[in-house]
Amino acid sequence: MPDRSAPPAGAAGQYKPVSVLAGAPPWLEMRGITKVYPNGTRALENVDLRVAKGEIHGLLGENGAGKSTLMKILSGILPFTSGRILLGGREVSLRSTHDALAHGIGMVHQHFSLVPTFNALDNIILGRGASLASPDRAAARKRIQRLMEETGLHAPLDIPIEQLPVGTQQRIEILKTLDRNVDLLILDEPTAVLTPQETDQLFEVLNGLAARGTTIILITHKLREVLALTNAVTVLRSGRVVGSRLTEGATAQDLARMMVGTERLPEVKERRQHEKTEPVLRVAGLTVKGDGGQDAVKNVSFEINAGEIFAIAGVTGNGQSELIEALSGLRPIANGRAYLLGHSINGKGPRELYRMGLAHVPEDRHRLGMVAQFSVLENSILGVHHEPRFRRGLPGTLHWGKVRRYARDLVHRFQVVTPSLATPMRSLSGGNQQKLVVGRELAKSPSLIIAGQPTRGLDVGATAAIRDLLVDIRNEGKAVLLVSADLDEVLALADRVAVMYEGEILAILERHEFDRERIGLLMGGVHDGSAAG
Amino acid sequence: MDPRPVEQRELEALSRRERQRQLRGTFAGLAEIVVALVIGLFVGALVMDGAGYDWKLAYEGLLIGAFGDQWAIADTLASATPLILTGLVFGLSARAGYFNIGAQGQMIVGALAAVAVGAHVSAPPVMAVTLTFLAAALAGALWALPAALLKATRGVHEVISTIMFNWIAHYTALYMVFNVLNDPRSAERTVRVLPEARLGAIIPGADMTAAIFVAVGVALFMYWLLWHSPWGYEMRIAGLNPSALRYAGASPLWSVNLTFILAGIAAGIAGATQIIGRPPTYALYGDLSNVRNLGFDGIAVALIGRNHPLGIILAAIFIGAMGAGSRMMQIMAGVPLDMVRIVHGTVIIALAAPEVWSLLGKFLSRGRARREAASTAHSKTVQR
Repeated sequence: MPDRSAPPAGAAGQYKPVSVLAGAPPWLEMRGITKVYPNGTRALENVDLRVAKGEIHGLLGENGAGKSTLMKILSGILPFTSGRILLGGREVSLRSTHDALAHGIGMVHQHFSLVPTFNALDNIILGRGASLASPDRAAARKRIQRLMEETGLHAPLDIPIEQLPVGTQQRIEILKTLDRNVDLLILDEPTAVLTPQETDQLFEVLNGLAARGTTIILITHKLREVLALTNAVTVLRSGRVVGSRLTEGATAQDLARMMVGTERLPEVKERRQHEKTEPVLRVAGLTVKGDGGQDAVKNVSFEINAGEIFAIAGVTGNGQSELIEALSGLRPIANGRAYLLGHSINGKGPRELYRMGLAHVPEDRHRLGMVAQFSVLENSILGVHHEPRFRRGLPGTLHWGKVRRYARDLVHRFQVVTPSLATPMRSLSGGNQQKLVVGRELAKSPSLIIAGQPTRGLDVGATAAIRDLLVDIRNEGKAVLLVSADLDEVLALADRVAVMYEGEILAILERHEFDRERIGLLMGGVHDGSAAG
Repeated sequence: MDPRPVEQRELEALSRRERQRQLRGTFAGLAEIVVALVIGLFVGALVMDGAGYDWKLAYEGLLIGAFGDQWAIADTLASATPLILTGLVFGLSARAGYFNIGAQGQMIVGALAAVAVGAHVSAPPVMAVTLTFLAAALAGALWALPAALLKATRGVHEVISTIMFNWIAHYTALYMVFNVLNDPRSAERTVRVLPEARLGAIIPGADMTAAIFVAVGVALFMYWLLWHSPWGYEMRIAGLNPSALRYAGASPLWSVNLTFILAGIAAGIAGATQIIGRPPTYALYGDLSNVRNLGFDGIAVALIGRNHPLGIILAAIFIGAMGAGSRMMQIMAGVPLDMVRIVHGTVIIALAAPEVWSLLGKFLSRGRARREAASTAHSKTVQR
């Protein structure tokens, strides 16, 4: 493994970082960029970014900080509300990816845009918009081979993309972008899908590109990568620039503090103390496969007690979703065991788990938690619709009268604002949809409730209402497993926090140990000051 | 800080908007049907006029032939009978989220089973009829099963498998008519079912039998199933959002299989109605003329009936009327049968077009949603 604190290859002799902050002239300047979405969401607020030629610049921030939005503006995908973009001192207009590419700006997205059944050569030629049948195929092959020699990005040109490992696909995606004569390369979370070895190879390539004069902007939330690769870093939080600084001399702690802020813990509803009991949920050595067959959750163990909110913090995509799905019977458990009130849940489906006392507020409520086209009435019995209490005497007939009474009660108790029970669910606001989903799940009188990102995308009022409900059921002596990417929410609600990073639980903290900076470091994969992984 | 008044106002605005939208929806739906009908009839008139026929007289003939007297009405309902059932096959499947065009094949094997049982099993009248219907329903369900299992276990698309099984049924029927169930005295058809297994004409001189009640009964059952039973509740979720069905603790696979089987039962019964419910032959013809195209016409019926069991009954009666009226069109205006079919086609296309459009949109957007879900799940981080 190469020593990542060493200066980039190619910068022989004494090392001076290429950065505007180190005195280099700015080449790319984004001035006062503000982005307001039509629904009023302010994604970016007066953001400045200055990058020198040949610099590797990190763009660091939590989920939703605005990193991707800013870069989508720079690569011509999104329009911005106000601000200016200057390239080499001249203002440029970037209305489309074509404009951006014409100015040498190209972006490699998290989701590759390659045709899986085509080989690399065809994909790269397609990227130029040229016809596959055009006679310059041989010339294109020569050109790409030269590019591979120059950059050290080697990839087989004649094997269909779908047969290649993800790391190689990414190299092809980068080659495709560079083939458009790009001199500003934007990479969005490029290591998210890579193995550690592939990550090392990628870093070597990026250092080489920078040494040859290509400017690189790296979007990431991993502190380790920022420290290892970049010359300077700009940190975003909630759509604003927290600050820019040289990477040299920065520590993971400094960056974590900038990323998550230093606010005091938010006030919480009063919480009742409970006697320690048998754990409601016991998870022992759980391993769960992701969609790609990789281990998304790796050998995870924890216990949740009655009357406790146990939160799992972490940046989205570190195995939390797979963990919830496995515990709620939607995804098979690859290894290890989990027990709900002492009974094994391995191999059990959602309906059996419901009978055992589990309720689940799913992360993706639009896809799982509701049927958007169904009415509020029909959605109120999703998951309990098979129960005899909603039947008529006539075998198997749903008693809509009873369902209506039940739904009216839910709507009333959980203050769901809806014109009528017959209103389609999709016509409700997100907050009211979620109140119905949470209410429906709480009405199951569960022993354990799993809540995935319960307040994501909700307005302030609905967020407060949902959080109060979670604390209420905790105080009633129920166990709550809260998975949230919102650190404030975790700190406000949880009795204990487990931080997940790349499928593992790095640490479990008690409430008196809660510390933003420490949790921020853990979320970035840094354990007790040393880099993990 | 009490948000109540604001929410109250929002609530009222919402309910007002909802009422308006519902009203607009109903009105738009009716207007759509009227406009489509007018366009279809207008184009049909243009075609007939261009070919030198008296289109006014032709349409008069259509009306008289379909609804002119009790015999005409009985003929219309007789034509509608199998179409209600084959329409349900497509309509029910579409509600559950897939494109089942296997009604034709399932209906043919249903007809074969009806001949085999009806012609050979002697029993008291009601019992014989019941047995024949049961055999046909079973045959239709069995014929639908491979497509269901192929879809569930191997991911084979139902359009491909049901088309294949339609052709297998077609040629199997030809073989059976001439080799196994053949009537030695009348080589062009199968043996006739026993008298006790026959349904008699309700109005002497017209083709309508009690089969119409069976068809309407099946439609009412499907209506009950879809909107008043937990299984139908699950089937509709399977069609709209299979992930939510899994979350709700049910199996989308089971729903798909159940829907296929119920659709197969309806198709099989449709086949039986064309054997024991079509006087005077009570047999299957070697050219399969008594079941020809009924499965495919069912698709048009379902589209016009907006995949709703009660809408399907009305749509089947409409298509049945077009069929029953075609004879009088020929007699009164001298329009040749092919021209009659052209006119039928334009009207049906005009009526079905809006539904085809929205159905296509739904299938396309579901495919897109699936792909997006897959690629999102593949990535590790989701960022805004």
